[in-house]
Amino acid sequence: MKKKKELKISRRTVMKGALAAGAMMSAGSIPSKLFAGEYNIPDPLKPLPTTGGNMRWIDSGDMKGVFWKKLFPEYAASRGITIEYDGLPWKEINKIVPIAIRNGTVHDVFQLPLGMDPGVAVAEGWVQPWDDYIENIDEWLAAFPSGVYLPGVNQFNGKTYGTCLTANKRTGTCLLYSEKYMSEAGYDPQAGRMTYSEIRDAAKKITKNGNGQYYGWIIGGNQVNRWEDVVHTFGQVGGAHSGRGGFTNRHINFQNGKFQIASDQYMEAVELLLQLKSDGSAFPGVMSMNAPQARALMPQGAAGMIFQGPWCIGVWGRDAPDWKYGIASEPVPDGKEAQPLYIAEGGSNTFWLSANSTMGPFAGDLIRFMGTEQGQIYWAQTVGAADPAVNPDAVAKAGLTGPSAQALSMFAENILVGPNPIVRNKDVGVVAAKSRVPDPSLALVIQGLYTGQLKGVEAQLKDCNQRYEDALDKAVEEARADGANVTRDDWVFPNWDVYSNYGAEKYQEL
Amino acid sequence: MHKKPLSKQIYDARWCYLFVLPCSILTGMFVIYPIGMSWYFSLLDWSGFTKEAKFIGLQNYYEAVNDEFFWDAFIRSFIFMFGTVPVKIVLGFIIAVFLNNQVLKLAPFFRTVIFMPVVTAIAIIGIVMTFVFSPFNGPANKFLMSTNLTSAPIDFLGNPDTVLPTVMGVYVWKWLGITMMYWLAALQTVPQDVYDAAKIDGAEGYRLWIHIILPIVLPFAIVIILVEAVGALNVFPLIETMTAGGPFFSSEVMEIYIFRTAFVTDSGTMPRLGYACAAGVFWGVAVLFITVLQGLWMRRTRRI
Repeated sequence: MKKKKELKISRRTVMKGALAAGAMMSAGSIPSKLFAGEYNIPDPLKPLPTTGGNMRWIDSGDMKGVFWKKLFPEYAASRGITIEYDGLPWKEINKIVPIAIRNGTVHDVFQLPLGMDPGVAVAEGWVQPWDDYIENIDEWLAAFPSGVYLPGVNQFNGKTYGTCLTANKRTGTCLLYSEKYMSEAGYDPQAGRMTYSEIRDAAKKITKNGNGQYYGWIIGGNQVNRWEDVVHTFGQVGGAHSGRGGFTNRHINFQNGKFQIASDQYMEAVELLLQLKSDGSAFPGVMSMNAPQARALMPQGAAGMIFQGPWCIGVWGRDAPDWKYGIASEPVPDGKEAQPLYIAEGGSNTFWLSANSTMGPFAGDLIRFMGTEQGQIYWAQTVGAADPAVNPDAVAKAGLTGPSAQALSMFAENILVGPNPIVRNKDVGVVAAKSRVPDPSLALVIQGLYTGQLKGVEAQLKDCNQRYEDALDKAVEEARADGANVTRDDWVFPNWDVYSNYGAEKYQEL
Repeated sequence: MHKKPLSKQIYDARWCYLFVLPCSILTGMFVIYPIGMSWYFSLLDWSGFTKEAKFIGLQNYYEAVNDEFFWDAFIRSFIFMFGTVPVKIVLGFIIAVFLNNQVLKLAPFFRTVIFMPVVTAIAIIGIVMTFVFSPFNGPANKFLMSTNLTSAPIDFLGNPDTVLPTVMGVYVWKWLGITMMYWLAALQTVPQDVYDAAKIDGAEGYRLWIHIILPIVLPFAIVIILVEAVGALNVFPLIETMTAGGPFFSSEVMEIYIFRTAFVTDSGTMPRLGYACAAGVFWGVAVLFITVLQGLWMRRTRRI
């Protein structure tokens, strides 16, 4: 019988191995090629600590979460660390992050709650700059399109505190529809932008065809921001030119610096929602479901239309790959031309590094990679139009097709860069920190009108508009009392041409 | 008789004080200190996590008592209490009377079944109930439709007229088991002799319960009502998971109001911990007032 060859490891071999491992560790990096996976993660530009550790990361999830859950294990293995990821809805981020900041347990990398002024985070010392952790940061920043990194938005005191990997050129209220139901109702949204009357009629017909099994339209009505998003964007499409973002931008017409909440266009948008309800076209139970629940019911055939964002594309592609749906621009009021939508300069999904974090070298290394063209291509290939990669070349090279590509082209066509008061005057950030959205907010007012608890659209929107004006006046007054050099005139941009981008040269003209 | 000086008295009882010390420290840390700090915070204009906190005296209180949403939530909390406590007390008593009967062989089984929701996590119940009462394929609506009790599904949690009664119903179901247990404990303090003597005297049926048993368990009833009333004013997790106070504040009770103002909301507003503390202190005092009233009622009942 042939003697089985034994694996003999001599003491010398062990020592050689140990020396090799030691040399590798002392070099400070583990070659990522050892960890073959879906992504080609390059070696770090400079040696990373060899002490390992656990990096905690929190963001608003959705398609970002899908991507991170694929990338993080590979990245963590290549760098000898672990990564704990929490992808949560904004509603939860808004609650968890402030509490975590308050008790000193915030994640290493996090997103600030909606509406919170980044300047406050920097001034309070909750965050630290990325400059020390992103190798050759100036060169890295230069690769981003202009207007993504701006003083007062994500850069403070000459340092970069917030990193953006995604563009904010998107809307969250596209018309997403069941191809089958819409075609049975006799409409094709791909033929051109639908009008309010057509939406209403299509919803009625779908409901009739559904005979109690499905309905014309659905919305996650207990997630109150959905009401505001729909009315705001529809109002803009109708011609109520206004900004987007936090309280100090949203709903404000920068031509005169006034809120647009009581405009005819907003009223028309609210009326459309009420008509969908009174027609019996709304899915029963919209008031007791949030946006993800409403979204999940679409592929189940519960409704024909939903006004939602491009993040549905990835989720539906994953959960219901055989379901046929279409995406189209927001509807327009009857007899009107669709008007542009506006975004403020800067990116989206800004990531902040906790001041207490000891994982900065790893977080910086990862963010740096994600900002490269290869990282952006990886991002675009998974996340698609849900959170478009900020690098347009990478998006082009990602080879997107279908609804994702269509959504991106739609956004490129419909969205312009509008003025941003904080870019003009950084003291607007102080006002943002002092601002309080008045109770009831526009979102709640629309919800109250929809449930019938509030009566009279015009009167309610006028009251609401006045509350917002008063709240901004008060915030400006308080900021001035604290020494901020700011007035309501900082919201007036007389040179704003609503049909063109508002760039750096426009700010210089002021 | 010569009285010892205080220091001597303390020294003599040093072991007693030593044993009380750990409890006192914990009470101070986790009860007294937070209460004291919430009073202090209520006098500040403070978001809760910025360095900037401005002393504004009683301005938060002034703002709270002038806020219609504060009073709506305040009143809604009491509607919740008055709508649930009597139902739980009466229903719990009736069930306890039945299950206290030794002849009923399945009593332990029923006790367990009724008690089961009590030990189930409240957040889980809240989430599950949103599915149960969903107008689309929810079992509650399926039942109503299949039995022709309704022709169209009811949006129990989305309709301002039905949301509060629905949540109250879930609350009663969830906590009925504990009320039943209180009553069972009370009923089991009634000696068997009393039942036997009553029967010899010809008191049976409702007479036995009204004239003999009820007066005996009445002091327990006062305590049960007190505990239940305070419990019904603390319903944050159930309402937050089922409705978060909506739609349009229809189910917003005081705890939800305080939570909403203490943290960032969907509208992206900055939190106001100082204001929330003022609302909380006001609310705490109101609850304390009710508790004191009930305590006085209990003492009076005992004297009778």
